Amino acid sequence: MAVEITGPKVLFTIGPVVVTNTIVTSWVIIALIVAVCYWLTKDLKPVPETKKQIVAEKLVSMVYDLTDSTMGKKWRNFAPYVAALFAYSFVSSMSGLTGVRAPTSDLSIILAMALVTFTMIQVTGIKAKGFWGHFKKFLNPLNLISEIATPVSMTFRHFGNIAAGVVITTLLYAALAYFSTVILNLIPISFIQQIPVLQVGLPAFLSIYFDVFTSFLQAYIFIMLTMVYVSMAED
Amino acid sequence: MPNTYLDLVSFVPWTLIFTWLNLFILYSLIKKFLFKPVNNMLEQRKNEINTMYETAQQAQTNAEEMEKEYSERMAQAREEAGEIIKQATLSAQRREQEIISDAQEKAAIMTKRAEAEIAQERKKAYQEIKNEISDISVAIAGKMVQREISAADHEALISQFIENVGEV
Repeated sequence: MAVEITGPKVLFTIGPVVVTNTIVTSWVIIALIVAVCYWLTKDLKPVPETKKQIVAEKLVSMVYDLTDSTMGKKWRNFAPYVAALFAYSFVSSMSGLTGVRAPTSDLSIILAMALVTFTMIQVTGIKAKGFWGHFKKFLNPLNLISEIATPVSMTFRHFGNIAAGVVITTLLYAALAYFSTVILNLIPISFIQQIPVLQVGLPAFLSIYFDVFTSFLQAYIFIMLTMVYVSMAED
Repeated sequence: MPNTYLDLVSFVPWTLIFTWLNLFILYSLIKKFLFKPVNNMLEQRKNEINTMYETAQQAQTNAEEMEKEYSERMAQAREEAGEIIKQATLSAQRREQEIISDAQEKAAIMTKRAEAEIAQERKKAYQEIKNEISDISVAIAGKMVQREISAADHEALISQFIENVGEV
């Protein structure tokens, strides 16, 4: 019994444009996040009347607290990007629970996110110190290597964790299916033999770690590193 | 190449571009639908609270002013009332004095007049008696003349008569 572990699937192509299933899932996730935001902030009142308003206020103040404490008050405009990054990363990773391919287990998507952070670091550095002031530190090759290593390490950390979850879950399901057939082969009815009974229950516990915990942790690490690197680029 | 699976570690440039677009769209929409409304509402809340504080402050200042004015007026009114009572008492006392002295004066005048009347009346009575005495004397004298009384009788009669008159 062969287990095949693949990457994202190409759904369709328009001319040279390649659209993978992870991109389509991303669109659904973005629509979902925006819909939740819209619903949360539909009828805001200075005196809260609904629980959802309290949730909306809490979310916003949490993001502001995070950016204030990590980057400082002058970076308040950065908060929506942090929220977008976190929501996208977390919901994407969690979407693996529904059986779709998590966008965060696609290397290209994580690389794109890390490259945005990398660009922000360069832009912030140039804005704060001028073009030459920012780039002269790369005369030391070690600085250049560490600068390039930043997006690479961010990409591989996030991608590696989520992809590892996908790999382990796939392997686990395959193994459980195999063991169920071994056990059920004792019953001489071919229909029953094909029911992978062991797949019920156990994967749920493992997914608490691989999907819920890792999803949150990786999303949090990604936004924290983004905030720290970007604010550090100033000095 | 639709419906083909890529390798687990694969790189698709189009996915990169789509993700950048996605991130930008998500950032804009989260800003528009989550941060902006909440920030606007917080601003509104702040303004409302400030207005409420200002109104409360104003109301308190007004109340304090009114209380001050009220107590001032009360004190003034009490003073005025005291003044009025004092004035009234004074004028009543004066009036009392006037009435008393007036009454005394009138009484004195009446007493004087009564005394004068009495004196006049007495005088008049005295005169009348005197006249009567004279008449009686003349009558007695006429009778005496008719009877031819003695000198001693005459004298005794007169003195007796005068004595009687003196008792009038």
